[in-house]
Amino acid sequence: MDHMNHTPLQAEPTPNHHHTHVQPTTAHNHGGGDSGGGHMGMAMTFNLNYLNVPLLFEGLLINSPGEMVAACIGVFLLAALYEGLKIGREVLLRRSQVNVRYNSMPVPGADGTVLMETHKTVGQRMLSSAHFLQTLLHIIQVVISYFLMLIFMTYNGYLCIAVAAGAGMGYFLFSWRKAVVVDITEHCH
Amino acid sequence: MTFGVFSSVTLLFDFWDVHSPAGMVLSVLLVLLLALFYEVLKVWRVWLSGSQLAVRAPACTPPPSVHSESASMLEGSPETSLAPVELHTSGPNSWLLHVIQTALHVLQVVLGYMLMLCVMSYNTWIFLGVVLGSVLGYFLSFPLLDQMQSFRLV
Repeated sequence: MDHMNHTPLQAEPTPNHHHTHVQPTTAHNHGGGDSGGGHMGMAMTFNLNYLNVPLLFEGLLINSPGEMVAACIGVFLLAALYEGLKIGREVLLRRSQVNVRYNSMPVPGADGTVLMETHKTVGQRMLSSAHFLQTLLHIIQVVISYFLMLIFMTYNGYLCIAVAAGAGMGYFLFSWRKAVVVDITEHCH
Repeated sequence: MTFGVFSSVTLLFDFWDVHSPAGMVLSVLLVLLLALFYEVLKVWRVWLSGSQLAVRAPACTPPPSVHSESASMLEGSPETSLAPVELHTSGPNSWLLHVIQTALHVLQVVLGYMLMLCVMSYNTWIFLGVVLGSVLGYFLSFPLLDQMQSFRLV
């Protein structure tokens, strides 16, 4: 443990410790000054530190510009994956529902026209492989979304930009197909 | 870190320092507007994806008869309607719309995180501002969306 003196404070934040950060004068001292010096446990305003930035886990302490770049790339990919996961789950759900809809059968109408009688079962059976897959993906999605929230909560400018850029890239890449699928089910008539 | 009614708070940035009641009122108003804009943005994106479809509307095949209309709406059989719609996805217009949608999505994500951080200041006034802004935004913009869509479809 070769951390700086202040790092043990972040392990158990006493109320007193946080109160000093809320005070405007001390917060200003922490945020300003050299852009590299992250000499506090938890930032309370946006900053551009790249030294001594804790990232989610005890072992993940960013202490150099190179590590910050690597962390940003990782966060970017995580955010992109999150968007892909959200859209992928939607597509999977729709596909499993489409399978259910095939059960509908044509029925001759009163005046000769053919009516489609639909037995539309919305939702899935609880004990089906598709539902288990959805549950598993849901767990992964919740965990990733909390991680992204915690990363944003570091108030680190680089990491926040990486989260936003990753979300944008993921949405741009993955929602292209979703835009097509949504149209059909919602409005084509 | 618990909720409290403080009159001083530092929100998001170093320069957003609030010590006075007047400053607090202003901050709460600003946060309220941000939350309101967030809700409007969500509805706006739904509306935009609706207009994305309006561009492609001619690709949809009309229902063969009045009787089967309701059935075909329920059915929406994917194979038949997927093919004609996909032909129209490569237009420059839809590409532009997709870029706009992406930009709005990023804006929405960032704004959402900002609002979360505002709430995390544990200041009751700010929290009430966020909640009230969301309520107002939802209340105002959702009926608007309904009107816009019915206007376009008719």
